[in-house]
Amino acid sequence: MTTQLDPVTLQILKSHFEAAAESMAYTLLRTAHSAFVKETEDFTSGLTTPCGQTFASPKDLGATWFIGLDYAGAINALEDYRPGDICITNDPYSGYVCTHAPDMHLWMPIFHGERLMCFAVGHIHNTDMGGAVPASLSRALTEVHQEGIRIPPTKLVEGGVMDEKLLKVMLRNVRMPEQNWGDLKAQIASLKTAERKIHEAIARFGADTVAAGMYGVLDLAERQARRMFAGIPDGDYAFSDYIDEDSPGGVPCRLKLTIRIRGEEAEFDFSGSDPQLQSALNMPTGGLPRHILPLVGYNYVVYSLDPTVALNCGLARPVRCILPEGSVVNPLHPAATGMRSLTCVRIQGIIIGAFSRALPDRLPAGPAGGGGILNVRTTDPRTGRMAMASINPITGGGGGAADGDGLDGSNSFLKNTPVEITEAEVPIRVLRYGLEPDSGGAGLHRGGLGTRMTFRLHSPNSVVTARNRDRVRFSSWGLQGGLPGATCDFTRNPGTPGAQDLGNTDVVHCAPGDVLSISSSGAGGWGDPYARPLEAVLRDVAEGKVSEAGARAYGVVVEAGRLDEAATVALREGRRPLPLPITFDPRRLDFETVWSEAAWDRLAELLFALPVEWRFFMKHQVFAQMAQDAQAAADPVAAVERGFAAAAARHPQVGTLAGRKAA
Amino acid sequence: MGYRIGVDIGGTFTDFCVFDEEAQRLETLKVLSRPDAPGEEVLQGLAEIERRFGIPPTAVTYFTHGSTVGVNAIIQKRGARLCLLVTEGFRDVLELARLKIPDPYDLFSRRPEPIVPRDRVLEVRERMNPDGSTDTAPERESVLEALARAEALGAEAVVIGFLHSYANPAHERDVAAMIRAARPDLPVFCSAEVWPIVREYERSITACIHGSVQPRVAHYITRLEAALAARGVPVAPMITKSNGGVMTAAAGKARSIEMLLSGTAAGAIGAGFVARQAGFPRVMSLDIGGTSADVALLRDGMPDFRAGELVGEYPIYLPTVSVSSIGAGGGSIAVVDALGVLRVGPDSAGSVPGPACYGRGGEAATITDAFAVKGVLGAGELGYGAVRIDKAAAERALGAVGERLGRDAAAAAEAVVALAVANMYREVSRLFSQVGEEPSGYALLAFGGAGPMLGCLLAEEMGMDAVIVPRTPGVLAALGGLLADLRSDFVRVVFLDVAPEAMPELQAAFAALTAEARGWLRDSQGHAGEGRLGVSAEMRYRGQSYEIEVPLEPAWIADPAPERIAGAFHARHAEIYGHADEKAAVHLVALRVVIAGITPKPEFPAGTVVESRPAPEGQVPVAHRGGMVQAALFRRAALPPGAAFAGPAVVVQDDTTGWVPPGFGGHVDAFGNLILRRS
Repeated sequence: MTTQLDPVTLQILKSHFEAAAESMAYTLLRTAHSAFVKETEDFTSGLTTPCGQTFASPKDLGATWFIGLDYAGAINALEDYRPGDICITNDPYSGYVCTHAPDMHLWMPIFHGERLMCFAVGHIHNTDMGGAVPASLSRALTEVHQEGIRIPPTKLVEGGVMDEKLLKVMLRNVRMPEQNWGDLKAQIASLKTAERKIHEAIARFGADTVAAGMYGVLDLAERQARRMFAGIPDGDYAFSDYIDEDSPGGVPCRLKLTIRIRGEEAEFDFSGSDPQLQSALNMPTGGLPRHILPLVGYNYVVYSLDPTVALNCGLARPVRCILPEGSVVNPLHPAATGMRSLTCVRIQGIIIGAFSRALPDRLPAGPAGGGGILNVRTTDPRTGRMAMASINPITGGGGGAADGDGLDGSNSFLKNTPVEITEAEVPIRVLRYGLEPDSGGAGLHRGGLGTRMTFRLHSPNSVVTARNRDRVRFSSWGLQGGLPGATCDFTRNPGTPGAQDLGNTDVVHCAPGDVLSISSSGAGGWGDPYARPLEAVLRDVAEGKVSEAGARAYGVVVEAGRLDEAATVALREGRRPLPLPITFDPRRLDFETVWSEAAWDRLAELLFALPVEWRFFMKHQVFAQMAQDAQAAADPVAAVERGFAAAAARHPQVGTLAGRKAA
Repeated sequence: MGYRIGVDIGGTFTDFCVFDEEAQRLETLKVLSRPDAPGEEVLQGLAEIERRFGIPPTAVTYFTHGSTVGVNAIIQKRGARLCLLVTEGFRDVLELARLKIPDPYDLFSRRPEPIVPRDRVLEVRERMNPDGSTDTAPERESVLEALARAEALGAEAVVIGFLHSYANPAHERDVAAMIRAARPDLPVFCSAEVWPIVREYERSITACIHGSVQPRVAHYITRLEAALAARGVPVAPMITKSNGGVMTAAAGKARSIEMLLSGTAAGAIGAGFVARQAGFPRVMSLDIGGTSADVALLRDGMPDFRAGELVGEYPIYLPTVSVSSIGAGGGSIAVVDALGVLRVGPDSAGSVPGPACYGRGGEAATITDAFAVKGVLGAGELGYGAVRIDKAAAERALGAVGERLGRDAAAAAEAVVALAVANMYREVSRLFSQVGEEPSGYALLAFGGAGPMLGCLLAEEMGMDAVIVPRTPGVLAALGGLLADLRSDFVRVVFLDVAPEAMPELQAAFAALTAEARGWLRDSQGHAGEGRLGVSAEMRYRGQSYEIEVPLEPAWIADPAPERIAGAFHARHAEIYGHADEKAAVHLVALRVVIAGITPKPEFPAGTVVESRPAPEGQVPVAHRGGMVQAALFRRAALPPGAAFAGPAVVVQDDTTGWVPPGFGGHVDAFGNLILRRS
């Protein structure tokens, strides 16, 4: 059926497809109602082949995570598509297109006569889909049922007729129905824009050529990805990292990845990652070998190595993910998934980390993160009204890299809210908002700094939420001799006798006059810090990005603004530990004296042999046991086995279930 | 009776329009720009005008001027060495900007270096509340400390950007006064005086860009004034502005920020004039030069205005004629990558070394070379004889591209042109969806050196039926300057709920703005007339974090009609976004006034239209869609009003070459505009 296209026609069609996807995005952005769409740009739009492979997406607009999302699971859930159908789902467990309940995905078949040419697709993040908490998202939730109403794949519009009953039920169950309805209309307008553009392309090039073009751009991306792998030495590249807490106040969650590159293909094995969690940090993937959530970081890596690649489903074709069932990267229903973004961000990091083991000179050190997204709910004394506002994302910088320092203060598409707007709208006083000195990892090329915001609340009963808090305990890593970035903190009333360390707390109730200070972590440095040119270190000191004390990490001695040359030479030429290819932060290394890689691997082995409902429970039992085991560091694997045995002895039923296969 | 001259300095060429008031004739000229000695090209052009047209400088009655000296200072990082004074706790206003990185997919993406590095951002102990009341007055000691530090750092100028200065500029003014008292020679700029908008980054970066360019621009204008006077030009030059207007030279020296993007703005004004003249209510202007293609949407000849346009890498937030860059220019380079994928741009051969066919050392295949290979270029002269087309060089360049594609040079040339057009199609499609309009209702107005070459091809791709090529497509920005009115914008942030009790405050703000605007026109510009006042407000629903501009009737403020103000907002919101919520509370963030003083305009008399089918000067073989077509060759000057012809045709004139593909036909209207339609 597919005509072979010449490369020039293919490039021309690619422009037309991108024009269609971008026009969809602008239509959505322009006509949407909610702040999530208009300001956060948490939406996507795109075009897929009849079997769901996304072949066009807008590059400069919308969420960057879902490039190449495979709609097959949703499309195949329904049959008999006809002109005028528009389908929806927001169920993370039906087809694994949607990844948490606030994301409402739509798809619409585009026909040329009788022929199904492609689907127009897209999603928006609804501010609220109902459920236990406003905005439907909380780390503390444990079941997907608490995260809002779920619509399995369904025709919302069939042959041009809206299913009013479904709409009514859906809107009855959400907290801000007008907003959801407004956004839904914008999504529908966006799909129809795509239909017009595709019809234009068909009129211009012919249906066969357009169809061939869709597969052609997917093939092109695949060739580009294969070429990249061919340029990387075959080998196994492993990397792991942690989320500080696997549930509110919990223990660390390990995420582990081994990339096995063989020729033009690669296996991304996530075995060894934690079992699914009794919190909302689970990432629903259905174990699909090319699910986009575990591959977001892969897309970034491929694009960063070659910005001319076509960003579509084809990039993932040479890759196969292994996502163990009942794990944090492939949870079973009804595990909660609302806050999967924190997990997804950490996995983006470990993909970059694993690739940097193969290409240390072509990728940056570990990115900053963990600051969270700050919102406040308080009473405005001027009006007596409840005021709610998004204050700011607390972001950190990019990792140092072979080509230079990491960017300070941010590494993503998130935007901040001007202090002047925040203060005019919510009764808080911002005392400081800026870069956090010394937070970037030292290196030949310094890691990007984190940021800090300090603010005072004025009204009683104020509630501050900080979604996606992390990196209080473990930090980013340095590369090629570079050092890790600093961890972050969250403190109430810092510098007072009543100062309180809030750690990774994500909901804080405040009294009038309370001051909150919250920071993000810093990014890792790249290259030997002692090789950093003196001028660059002195410039950082002059700019206040590195303190005089912090300059010592670069082997540079500055006192009272002046360089002590003799002391610097002595320091730089003195003995010191050899620079490592990858340097983790001391607290991680300290934690790993007990929780070594082998210990984690053994724990995973023991836990994954259990039925899914026991895994998280037993993990915490073993952690408690290990904490009391004075001998743990001597032989961590044995300690894990002792701990597991002791826990199993307390719960004898575990033994009888150990052989049962999960679900 | 005398001569009016408009001059626009561009990256490669400096364009001149000379309007003869008596004969009502327009002469045009291009000379090469002199970025090494800005201003020299103006004098050279004046000499050339006298030599060619016999017009002495002493006969000039009106002189408008657009210059890139300010933009170049930013791009080449040669602006004044600034220190920025900020509120304590907010030293990173420039470093953090609005956080978002330019390319979120790219792990190496970085924002541009802050225009003022962090060591030259100095904190001052002071705090203003959002309502404009003082929390902490500026502490003198802290100011003097900052000044001492600025001096030690070698500051050539100081910018003050304090929080909430839009609500009350007193702290900025007090600190400026303290600094001026201590250092009367040090230029000081207050953010609320440069452009008093809410949002600290946007206001501060705008003020910093101003502080950075002002000394250099002022110096340039002063020198130019002297040089013009020395040549005997009896009038002071008017300076074109980014808002599509002009201002006096004195105003240009004080408000240098307002001239930075005047080149593209004047181009849009010139395009708007032609659109009205030719009778097209909806027009997309397409200005393609050597390195870029710029697009503006014009409704009834009026462009849109926008804030946040880029000067080099930095945004400025003054109202600016909205012109979007859509990438490719005539110099955009075509390459074939390792996987055999053809790309056009983003790299450009620029004016140096330029396209291969210009014979100035360029070897890479560019869009211009592709047209030379096709046979469109080379039949006439380009750039007033400044450039000759070396077709063999173009064929060598395209031949190399073709080899990688497995095609000959002619086929490669067609591929390059088709892909360049497809890329523009994508960019232009995005633009139309941003405003929610359909391209099919628009005519395409093609100008710039390469616009008329690509105009019909893009129109075809966009589904547009008509293409307009103005009589002087190479010098439209210079013409736009001649046509521009005195124009200035004024803003007050008010943060009001649109409700009866807030009206007195709105009235007060309106009175103040009107007085300021009238004062500007009368005192600063020496304009005798009343001026035309436009009023608008930046409004939003409570809780939204962005505003839209809503035109208001002054009567709604004078005789308070909050319901009409809110109604206008709902209507505008529905127009832009497709929906409105009549029950929601409406917030008026800022009130804006724009004043225009009408300048005398050149009058272009309609010519007598005599229908004719002139015989072509010759036939040019042109490669088109895989074959060769014989295109009729016309000289633009030989096409009088009423002349008509059918494509394929090549139309050559001094400053550009037009390509009329098969399927298009053309005729010349009463004003000399060439109208091409799809048949």
